Amino acid sequence: MAVISVSHLDKSYGKVHALRDVSFEVDEAEVFGVVGPDGAGKSTLFNILTTLLLPDSGDAAVLGLDVRTRYLEIRKHIGYLPGTFSLYPDLTVEENLVFFATMYQSSIKENMPLIASIWSQIEPFKKRFAGKLSGGMKQKLALCCALIHKPVLLFLDEPTTGVDPVSRKEFWEILRSIKQQGISVMVSTPYMDEATLCDRIALMQDGQIMRLDTPKNIIRDFNGHLVTLQTPDIFQLLKVMGQYAAHCTFYPYGENLHVIFYEPLEKAIPEFEVFLQQNDITHGEIEQIEPNIEDCFIEIVKGN
Amino acid sequence: MKELRQILKKEFTHIFRDRITLFLVLAIPIMLVLLFGFTISMDISHAKISVLDLSKDSQSKALVEKITSSGYFEVVSYPNAESEIDGDFKEKNVKLAIIIPPHFEEQLTGEKFVTIQIISDVSDMNVASILNNYVKLILNDFTSDYNAAEGSVNAIELTSQMMYNPEANSVYMFVPGIITLIMIIVTALMSSITLSREVETGTMRMLLIAPVKKVYVVIGKVIPYMILSFISTLIIIIISVVVFHMPINGSVWLLLLLCIVFMLTSASFGMAISAMVKTQLDAMMITMMGLFLPTALLSGFLFPIDNMPFFFQILANIFPGKWFIIAIKDVMLKGSGFLDIWLYMVILFGMAVVLMAFSMTRLDRRR
Repeated sequence: MAVISVSHLDKSYGKVHALRDVSFEVDEAEVFGVVGPDGAGKSTLFNILTTLLLPDSGDAAVLGLDVRTRYLEIRKHIGYLPGTFSLYPDLTVEENLVFFATMYQSSIKENMPLIASIWSQIEPFKKRFAGKLSGGMKQKLALCCALIHKPVLLFLDEPTTGVDPVSRKEFWEILRSIKQQGISVMVSTPYMDEATLCDRIALMQDGQIMRLDTPKNIIRDFNGHLVTLQTPDIFQLLKVMGQYAAHCTFYPYGENLHVIFYEPLEKAIPEFEVFLQQNDITHGEIEQIEPNIEDCFIEIVKGN
Repeated sequence: MKELRQILKKEFTHIFRDRITLFLVLAIPIMLVLLFGFTISMDISHAKISVLDLSKDSQSKALVEKITSSGYFEVVSYPNAESEIDGDFKEKNVKLAIIIPPHFEEQLTGEKFVTIQIISDVSDMNVASILNNYVKLILNDFTSDYNAAEGSVNAIELTSQMMYNPEANSVYMFVPGIITLIMIIVTALMSSITLSREVETGTMRMLLIAPVKKVYVVIGKVIPYMILSFISTLIIIIISVVVFHMPINGSVWLLLLLCIVFMLTSASFGMAISAMVKTQLDAMMITMMGLFLPTALLSGFLFPIDNMPFFFQILANIFPGKWFIIAIKDVMLKGSGFLDIWLYMVILFGMAVVLMAFSMTRLDRRR
């Protein structure tokens, strides 16, 4: 049974069309990722599914319960971790956990086994004020608070935004272990590298789901041929590339330029080299590479 | 209930960890009571008075006519005996009573001074002293008119009797006002800030998603500030009684009940404000400009409501301070009982119920 099923969901705030005809399903014990830039509609989607917002049209069911009418039942069985730190900074780690456990009509004792592995990492700081924790620690505490009532479905809205890379990696390991305990996870992130850690991802842009599949399939179905090249002056190159936009999709990637050609490379690369020469661009070797999720996302959004 | 207890515990933890706010909340009332002490004069027209005319002769009628035509007074009652005057003060809300002695006309031409008695309600001291002066002016005018017409005449001697605040002590005036303002700061301001802080930091969202009853959330957050406010009020009352010898002529229990009702009203104003805003700063600005300031200006604490332009007299009715100040003065100074002030308590309680219902539905609303 699908833990979340959404069909033709629409939501506007005044003139802003935050969600347009969004449909998808999340299966049991799945880590479902919603990937997209800021303003794509991720938080709106989360707010509707966590019963804080009402959709304008379309249907959404969480755990088989309609979000419009049976929201009180839904709230008992879901956990939610918002993107911004939403605990009490002037309460200690322990006080926060006890408080939220009580709010969810649960107790720390009852569900300790579930959070034991995360709790063991923050327990040494349990007398510290939550506001004085590091970013990663704050999110671990927030996760404990979201899990303390043993939800069957966990919503994480950009849980790793503003968290250092090491803590991010740890956080995702924790998510995998949560999944192994049979809890379904719906997570949003603006970080493309994290998307590959999900079972399935929905790529969102302008309130629409552009693509929904496993990361593997999305990469497999990459449309076009991806090359990378290095140049001493990327700004000069980007300026010039404007004239070549009809032949390819291009974007800076770190210090390199990524270019997607839709024609066979045997034909496209020589033509491209001629173009670069004409514009006096010095560059390194033009290399074909395997696309990652970020390349796929940009291709889907920008390409044809 | 376990949830409510936990919320109360959490809120008290917030309060006790925020020492500065706690100190201010308890210290400001003491400072205000000790420092406050000014009065502002003003003009009055159409003050309600009652006239006890014991002579009913042509001169006494002429005097009453002169008082009425002055424009300062409106005679709402003509009691037949002195014993009825007290009732006029309590029921007809008269500010002043004039007693013209028997045989007024004879006395005017007689050898002794003529004595006219004035009884004024000095629970509003400014008003009382101004009205007293008006009467003196009119009487002077009356004698000089009479002199011009009849030749020599006895001067009229005026004896005034001040009721409810015989020493015209201004402490009696501002203590109810300070209690009102402190309760608004501590209950309305603090509860609007504490609730909007949860909205601002996102913790309100966490609480909304949790299956806890929303009534517990709001009540649990507001009760601690009501307790704090009650302590402040007690401090003010104790200081005014001990240091300034302010009387509590009515029942102390009624006074405390009245304070609790007003606290509920203030707290629900705070809740309603926080239900409309998203940040602590907005909550603070709106509470200060939209509730605190109008209460200070329109409640009759600084300026008498009777003297305001008609529009402001109407506007004053929607701020709870007006009703509370009337009621608390009645209880402390006039010694009124529950039956005299029940209407004010009902008005205050009604405001609380309406605003609380509004904020609860608004808080839990899904758009």
